[in-house]
Amino acid sequence: MIPALAQSSVLAAQTAFPILPALIITPLLSAVAILLVPSHRQSEVRLVALAGSTITGAMAVWMMAAFDKTEAGFQFVVNEPWLTSMGLNWHFAVDGISLFMIVLTGILFPIAILAAVPQHDSKAYHAWIMVLMAGSMGVFMALDLLLFFVFFEVVLIPMYFLIGGWGHGRRIYAALKFFIYTMAGSALMLVGIVSLAFLTASRTGNALTFDVTQLAEAQALGTTAQRLIFLTFALAFAVKVPIFPLHTWLPDAHTEAPTAGSVILAGVMLKLGTYGYIRFGVYLFPQAAYDLAWIFLTLGVVGILYAAVVATMQKDLKRLVAYSSVAHLGFIVLGIFTLNTQGLTGSVFQMVAHGVSTGALFIMVGWVYERRHTRQIAELGGLQKPAPIFAAAFTLVMLSSIGLPGLNGFTGEFLILLGGFQAARWWTVFAVLGVILAALYLLWAYQRVFHGTPTGDNIDMPELKASEGLVLLPLLVLIVFMGVYPKPMLERIEPSIERLVAHVEANVDGFIEPGPVQVPERPSDAVTLTEALEEAEKKAAREEGEVEDSVDEEGREASLAEGETTK
Amino acid sequence: MMSLFAQVPVSTPEIQWFYLAPILILALGGVLLITLTSVAPVMRGRHISALFTVATGVLALAFLPFIAARLDGLVDPVAGQGGRPAVDLVSSALVVDHFTLWVSGLISVAVILVAVMLDGYLEREGFESPEWYALLLISASGGVILASAEDLIVTFLGLEILSIAVYVLAALHLRRSESQEAGFKYFILGALSSAIFLYGIAMVYGATGSTTLTGVAGSMTGRNAAGLSPAVDSSLVMVGIALMLIGFGFKVSAFPLHIWTPDVYQGSPTPIVGFMTSAVKVAAFGGMMRVFLVGFGGTFASDWRVLVLFMAGFTILFGSFLAIVQTNIKRTMAFSSIAHAGFMLVGLYAAASPVAIGDTGKRAVLFYLLAYTFMSIGTFAVISIVGKKGDGNHSIEAYRGLAKREPLLAMAFTVLLFGQVGAPFTAGFFAKFRVIAAAAQVERTEAYILAGVAMLGAAVGAYLYLRVVVAMFLDVQESPSTEMADSADETLALVEVRALEVPPATLAVVLLAAVVTLVLGIFPDIGSGALAEAALALVR
Amino acid sequence: MMSSALLAIQSTNPIALTPNELWVINTFFYVIAAVGIVAALKMVTTKNVVHAALYLLVVLTVVAATYIVLGAEFAAATQVMVYIGAVMVLLLFGVMLTRAKIGDDGDLDYDSKWIGGLSAVSMFAVMGYSLWEAFGTDELPADMAVQRTGQVANSIFSQYIVPFEALSMLLLAALIGAVVVARRD
Repeated sequence: MIPALAQSSVLAAQTAFPILPALIITPLLSAVAILLVPSHRQSEVRLVALAGSTITGAMAVWMMAAFDKTEAGFQFVVNEPWLTSMGLNWHFAVDGISLFMIVLTGILFPIAILAAVPQHDSKAYHAWIMVLMAGSMGVFMALDLLLFFVFFEVVLIPMYFLIGGWGHGRRIYAALKFFIYTMAGSALMLVGIVSLAFLTASRTGNALTFDVTQLAEAQALGTTAQRLIFLTFALAFAVKVPIFPLHTWLPDAHTEAPTAGSVILAGVMLKLGTYGYIRFGVYLFPQAAYDLAWIFLTLGVVGILYAAVVATMQKDLKRLVAYSSVAHLGFIVLGIFTLNTQGLTGSVFQMVAHGVSTGALFIMVGWVYERRHTRQIAELGGLQKPAPIFAAAFTLVMLSSIGLPGLNGFTGEFLILLGGFQAARWWTVFAVLGVILAALYLLWAYQRVFHGTPTGDNIDMPELKASEGLVLLPLLVLIVFMGVYPKPMLERIEPSIERLVAHVEANVDGFIEPGPVQVPERPSDAVTLTEALEEAEKKAAREEGEVEDSVDEEGREASLAEGETTK
Repeated sequence: MMSLFAQVPVSTPEIQWFYLAPILILALGGVLLITLTSVAPVMRGRHISALFTVATGVLALAFLPFIAARLDGLVDPVAGQGGRPAVDLVSSALVVDHFTLWVSGLISVAVILVAVMLDGYLEREGFESPEWYALLLISASGGVILASAEDLIVTFLGLEILSIAVYVLAALHLRRSESQEAGFKYFILGALSSAIFLYGIAMVYGATGSTTLTGVAGSMTGRNAAGLSPAVDSSLVMVGIALMLIGFGFKVSAFPLHIWTPDVYQGSPTPIVGFMTSAVKVAAFGGMMRVFLVGFGGTFASDWRVLVLFMAGFTILFGSFLAIVQTNIKRTMAFSSIAHAGFMLVGLYAAASPVAIGDTGKRAVLFYLLAYTFMSIGTFAVISIVGKKGDGNHSIEAYRGLAKREPLLAMAFTVLLFGQVGAPFTAGFFAKFRVIAAAAQVERTEAYILAGVAMLGAAVGAYLYLRVVVAMFLDVQESPSTEMADSADETLALVEVRALEVPPATLAVVLLAAVVTLVLGIFPDIGSGALAEAALALVR
Repeated sequence: MMSSALLAIQSTNPIALTPNELWVINTFFYVIAAVGIVAALKMVTTKNVVHAALYLLVVLTVVAATYIVLGAEFAAATQVMVYIGAVMVLLLFGVMLTRAKIGDDGDLDYDSKWIGGLSAVSMFAVMGYSLWEAFGTDELPADMAVQRTGQVANSIFSQYIVPFEALSMLLLAALIGAVVVARRD
């Protein structure tokens, strides 16, 4: 389906329709519409939310189809004045880096809405989700530094309400911790942003601007200033990602959040941090990013290993998944700070892959909780017996999270490790350990939850419903598709990444891609990269048998179940 | 003795009444109100006083665009500092320029909004008193005088008119001893700070031989090799400036002169607190900016701005951190208003920078005042409603479940609180952004540190607003099973909230404030022309 | 600089002082200053409210005397009439009419007095130092001007008309305030 769309992109080209503002305004309008629905008609509230998010998602997919994959620069540009005296603009655009973030947002939101029904206050819940969707869209397309900051901060508010209002257990504590942590992290970034703009303006003599491309091209800062400002950005993103040791808010927020909140938090909001590193950290401060890369490489690797170890010890299934997120994001950070095409491309790909697979994991953990009213691993067991399809779907998602070749998790991780071996060999060696550990804790958790003989309430574990299967299906398809045929994605990501790497090369003394510790000849471009990847996948193709089985089984059962309901 | 009478007749100065309109309208409005209500019993109706006050405020406001137009049309501005249109009035006692107009506008708006919410408040509390409104108007006229004063004596008198009326207003809830105590405390400390302020004026006069701002500024130009100004005695001037900073610092409740704020805010009638955080702050900052930037903006700016730097940093930290432990919402908001004053001081610090960029700082402060006027009045209008009869229901617990009972009120309050947090797409965000931008533009290490401290303070301060939001939204669904002990209290709280009476006019104030907060946050360009003009008027 | 500072209201009729006369004036000033300081200290340390009021009266009188030394007869006369004549009487009335204790009151103390005293002393030190540094060695000019009451009146109604009017607003506000606060309903 996607390659077909890719070919039709020639037709769509660049239309006059302001697709990017529409992606923000549509969810906002549906939020308003939700508020206008009389509160006793709960089902219509859900319908409006679903319609709004689906339309937005469809527009995002359409945009991906219309995206010109030969163009490395920004597309669908909208640039309107905002606060003229301070040089602020409503500047939106997408390139290969942000494109899939937007598509991911568009796909995950309707699924998150479908995946769980709020216990109460359906109206407010859905309105906040739609506001969150608008905000998330805004972050990924903003090219005015302050506009980005605004969206970066604004997503906190709906998320705060979602966790605090519809979460579990110590939700108020978790919501406050989440809000204050992230707000404190980004507080200094505002100082960094204005300092960057004013310093650039006074060094270059140009008018004050917050435009990302102009600031990146100017590169007017001295070494110290660039490093300090980079660190203010890095701190904000590090809290958001989160990078060890700033991750402590995440397990709380994830565990207490409602299912939709967890899905969006893991799928979209954590990516704000890693996306920020690529778009703003590396692009605006190439020299500082290069000089200080070792810090982030180290923290990334430490995060991978630490989170893996901690995840092994978790008693709560959702908390375990949360820690696995920390580990995965450590990989993404590692990939980013290799500063070469493979690593960065892998990171962007992995961001999407992680969004899909962890989103699916959280949805399924949410269903386990709905059915069994507990997430304690010790209280679950043998669920495979009463709910084999559920278990099969869970297996697939989990294997993708582990990074099994042929599934989406593998592609990204492989590219990251490929880039890592060229740029930062020793860090990567340790990171590989993380891959093994991931297999360990996820499989062990799977074994404890699904294998064995069911006891107590576990015997009556309800099977995956057809409706639930349909909700999950797009994610499962994506997991497999992205793993088997990543080319359509990679060929859109790569030009932009190469442009970014060229920018880094041009602005960093003595840096030649793909890295300082490296083979003299750089693997030239997309073709080699994709080929290398396919090569690696062919090797792994044999292992795929069982996975394919479970997919088939899942799809068959789902259609069967559907048949039953129609009867 | 004969020689005395034989002197030439006194040459009274020419007065351009038109430019004086805002001051005259507000002051005469107050006098007229007290006179009319004394002689005509018909006028004593409650709503009539409020209506009269609103009309007075609107009239004062309506004059401003015409004065602005007249100012812009001036062929040869009398006191056109740096070529900006300005009119010197009554032998250089007052000056009317775009800065004056901006401040007058904000004060008038504050008068209107506070009068509206005062109406509902007085009705609930069973007071039947035109003097509340008269004092409000007189105080506002003092505020406008303060901000347009061109002579330090007038500055002092403006400050005193502004303050005396507010001291009384603070004590005016005669049935609450807290109110009396607040008024008394405010009065004693305020009188002390006024005395110190006056000392400062005397010192500056002693050193420069002038009380007019232009005279003071004129004698302070240049420095000799030893770093001393050739014309005036440096230490005398510095002490004078420092003492005046204390006087203004008290009024805007800046560290270390903020101690009175929580007690006074807690005790005073809530709408009056709204007036204190809006009109009084606007006027005090207006006067402070004019005196410090025009009068002391030259040679000595690099000295006093260091004081302002420390004041700003500590004010923000104290305001933000001490607010965390409060359980009374009025005390919480008092600390928040201290923190906001700190932010405005950051702008003032930037405005005093020697580079030709002080403009950003001035605009930052002026925009902050605009945003904070609406946000704080709206906030205190909500607090006034929730305070209930007796004006004593002010624990944060009292907000439990407000979202369920009064969704509209709670929603508007949420917007206002998030505005004060500085959340994006609210006026508060751009207020903070402008301040931080101004500080960054100074391009000095200490300015960056100050900006960092300010933002960290903002992040910490977010907690205090969120606690209220939490109480409004999140606690409502607490299932009874969670804590048995709590559930009884909770039902009680719900019952209490149900009994809330919401005067439509006060609700309108809240909604207006919330809408302005949002609109300024989404379209920050609104009014930036007037803002730029106002900032440019303060030429150093 | 000095003369311009002290003589903002220019006199048309300067009076020349001989060194002898200056010496007399200085001595007089030191005497009344000493009296003023002692009275001020007693005022804040006495535990008797009426005594405190009477000491305040002495302080205000000393201020009036200082005005005379500076050649400001009008200000001195106003000081005597308004503060000593009216305000003090009101204050004493107030003390008597309220149920304040007339004799010694052991409770009349303040916990933070040392902090207050310390800040007062430090403020005195700073202001004293800066005044001393600015004017320490200066002497009053020989052609010391004496301001005439008529000139005061003239300037009030010309140059200082706005402060004058503002002052009336201030008094009005205070008046309304006093009435409202005093009234019990």
